[in-house]
Amino acid sequence: MSLRPHVDFHQGTVRLFGLSARFVEKALTDVPLVWDEREDCYRADAMHADAIRQGLEHSLAGRFDWRVGRDAGAAEFRSLAVNDLRQVTLRGDQQQAVKAFEDGGRRGLVVMPTGTGKTVVAIELMIRCQCSTLVVVPVRDLMYQWHAKILEATGIDAGLIGDGVHRVSPISVTTYDSAAIHMPRIGDRFQMIVFDEVHHLAGPWRSDAARMSIAAIRLGLTATLPGDDQRTERLQQLVGPTLYQQSIAEASGKSLADYSVHRIAVRLTDDEQQRYRDYSRQIQTFVYQQREFDPQFKWDDTYALSAATKQEPDRARDAVIAMRAFRLKRQIEEHADAKLRMLEDLFRLHCDESVIVFTGSNVMARKISTRFLVPCLLSHCGKKERRQWLQGFAEGRYRVLVANRVLDEGVDLPEVKTAIVLGGLSSQRQAVQRLGRVLRKGTGGRRAKLYEVVVEDTREVTRSRDRRRNEAYRQKR
Amino acid sequence: MIRSEHSIVEYDFQRMIVRPDRLHRGTDADYLPTAKQMLRIYRDGIGSARQTLHGRIETCLNRLPGCPPRRIAAFCKLLDDQSEYHSDRKAALQLRRQVFDFAADRHPIVEYREGIFDNEMHQVRSELAETVGRPWPEIEADLFSDVLELQRLESFETSLTPAQLLSAYNVAQTQAALYRATRVRVDASDDFKTIVRHAKLAGLMHRIDLVSSAKHPRYRFIFDGPQTALRQSTRYGVRFATLADKLLALKGWHLTAEILGPRKQRFRMELSPADGLTSSLTAPDAFDSSLEAEVDAAWQKTPVDGWIWQRESQLLVRGQSVMTPDFSLYNQQRNLLVYVEVIGFWTPEYLEEKSRRLKEFASVPPTDSRPVETTRWLLIVAKQQERDLRQRFADLQLPIIGFDKHTKPQSWIDAIDE
Repeated sequence: MSLRPHVDFHQGTVRLFGLSARFVEKALTDVPLVWDEREDCYRADAMHADAIRQGLEHSLAGRFDWRVGRDAGAAEFRSLAVNDLRQVTLRGDQQQAVKAFEDGGRRGLVVMPTGTGKTVVAIELMIRCQCSTLVVVPVRDLMYQWHAKILEATGIDAGLIGDGVHRVSPISVTTYDSAAIHMPRIGDRFQMIVFDEVHHLAGPWRSDAARMSIAAIRLGLTATLPGDDQRTERLQQLVGPTLYQQSIAEASGKSLADYSVHRIAVRLTDDEQQRYRDYSRQIQTFVYQQREFDPQFKWDDTYALSAATKQEPDRARDAVIAMRAFRLKRQIEEHADAKLRMLEDLFRLHCDESVIVFTGSNVMARKISTRFLVPCLLSHCGKKERRQWLQGFAEGRYRVLVANRVLDEGVDLPEVKTAIVLGGLSSQRQAVQRLGRVLRKGTGGRRAKLYEVVVEDTREVTRSRDRRRNEAYRQKR
Repeated sequence: MIRSEHSIVEYDFQRMIVRPDRLHRGTDADYLPTAKQMLRIYRDGIGSARQTLHGRIETCLNRLPGCPPRRIAAFCKLLDDQSEYHSDRKAALQLRRQVFDFAADRHPIVEYREGIFDNEMHQVRSELAETVGRPWPEIEADLFSDVLELQRLESFETSLTPAQLLSAYNVAQTQAALYRATRVRVDASDDFKTIVRHAKLAGLMHRIDLVSSAKHPRYRFIFDGPQTALRQSTRYGVRFATLADKLLALKGWHLTAEILGPRKQRFRMELSPADGLTSSLTAPDAFDSSLEAEVDAAWQKTPVDGWIWQRESQLLVRGQSVMTPDFSLYNQQRNLLVYVEVIGFWTPEYLEEKSRRLKEFASVPPTDSRPVETTRWLLIVAKQQERDLRQRFADLQLPIIGFDKHTKPQSWIDAIDE
């Protein structure tokens, strides 16, 4: 072991060897370091690497070895030339976002509605920072989309980590899941990290992607910050404070197209209604019986109860039956015949336009695809297939594209002015993201339309009502 | 292995312990004929879609009282793991392209012809069938045949018996309970080398303590990962699960896992050979080399009085590096422990690595802070290589014995005392 203190990167953490407790307490006060007796070293999350380096430079004035990572000495990972091949001028709001990020110490969140050019802001910052950068995105489609945009803007053929590819380059794009898996090995390679749709980072597993990276420059992009304070706080710890925020209402009609939301109620057939009522009654009876037994019982407890076959076999059996009824009830809502009939009417109404249909399940998406013989974009589609449908849709060859959750976020769709939501979550985020898909301001300034088809007298009405709580959904009628 | 969403555990909040779901011979006897049925469903199900097979398994298990959905899903996963499904993505994509391109100019396809909308569904389907050259029901069935749940079973060639399937379920649930583990402790009196090797392969960090005498060594291993020093992390859970499966093939161990339970409370899970779980692996080989086997046989034939001869019974630890000498010799009267290393291969890489490790470990006191003067080393090499290896390891200044079938173990003791 060297007598000089040294710091290295170890599986998503940094280890500090050869430093006394007194020195650490004095010089690295703000860094959460922990003594690790397994290796006689101090240890911290890699995300504190920059603070550690600054603290050591200040106190030890170069009398330490910085061995962070295999590429610590490789010049191309410290700084690199990122050319600017773009032919665009940033809009006012985009310039404001760039400035806010730079003024805010290059660590923080930029909140802008979908379609307002968050990618443009990020690429501008990448060009300004001129350093190794990792872009983290939620889905594979976005990974390829970012790859194409980086290539177009800078001429750099970025590395890809995910979807069966593992090509790490100084500029790379990856998905959240791949980042969380691979960060213990690649977390020391990038000076800058961009989290697209940063709200995905808040979960405990995925947040490792931020913790295990040494990147000092951290940008988080999103259209919607998490609803609860705890998650927002976690994002701020991992990435930085909110440095710029623009609401969807502010952007409407300016950077985004003007839009209207139409709700259409459809009814179940007599047969569907009968089955729906039967299942509802089964569930109600089950909950009633459980409350007789335990007044605190909630429907949410059913899943856990279903597994208690050893302790409470009778209740567990009832829970299993109730859950099956619940699943069948959801299927009736989701696959109601009337939805397909309404969809046909809406296709007739918008027969000359490009329409995107959002469903609540992959099964429904395939059902629509098979019924109307239109492409559907699902998570199983490979890169080639996705590109094929998206391209055909952009060229107007295919009038309709059906998707479940693949297109909820980020993937660019050119000038779609009509979207139909046939089901989905009660989440406001999903609602706003789906709205964002049809709000890109194109030429002609045509008004965008979003239809929401809801089955009357079912839980779909409640979910739709929950979605409407969002400001963007509420104000537009 | 099954997925974490298939895991069923019982949390005992009084004793703060976790019990993974297990099927027992007595109370769950009904599962044995059901397991037979399940295997038959898969064996007879060649050509059926995955979702159809899963539906049949569900029906089969639903007949048993109180079978939770997670158990059904776990069995489906275990059976799928033994299966090969057909997925011709290229052909399915080709069919989709044909179908959607054909229909593109006919949008919207309406149920009944009306006004300007004259592309009637049935008509379009029959024209499509003619163009593709296959009947519509076949097109409909194959349009998404590459989607996971619609893939068809191609082969199910497992030798699993119904009892083995149930045993695999018990092992899988035990492993799944470990996905939520933050740290694992293994107390072992045997097979240390294999335990350490599997932990290394799983990418785990360790702390090792000797918990009993040199005569009957017993070690305590604590396995976790770098992040463990910073927070309670379940990040290494899958690695613990992998390690547990390997342990099942060994003897003389007891595992205690710290499990993160509801509301981040800490629970405990115990596992040992007494649980009766069986591994898919076989027990480790007896010896690493034939020379090692011959050396052992020579000692067994003419042992030296006062000395205890044990195989791989000592662990030498230096930080995250571990070395297990091939044998140890212990003399209780003299309180002398001798680490015996047999050099049984002669490739340059092997010898270089051996030399490096001996340099690292022969110069430091062992884990249990035993005084240096109570430990010695002895290197045993094949007689025909003796001269070369004496030169190669000369700088280590350790006694070296050339071994052939005439060498008596007393000469080894003499070499130590020289």
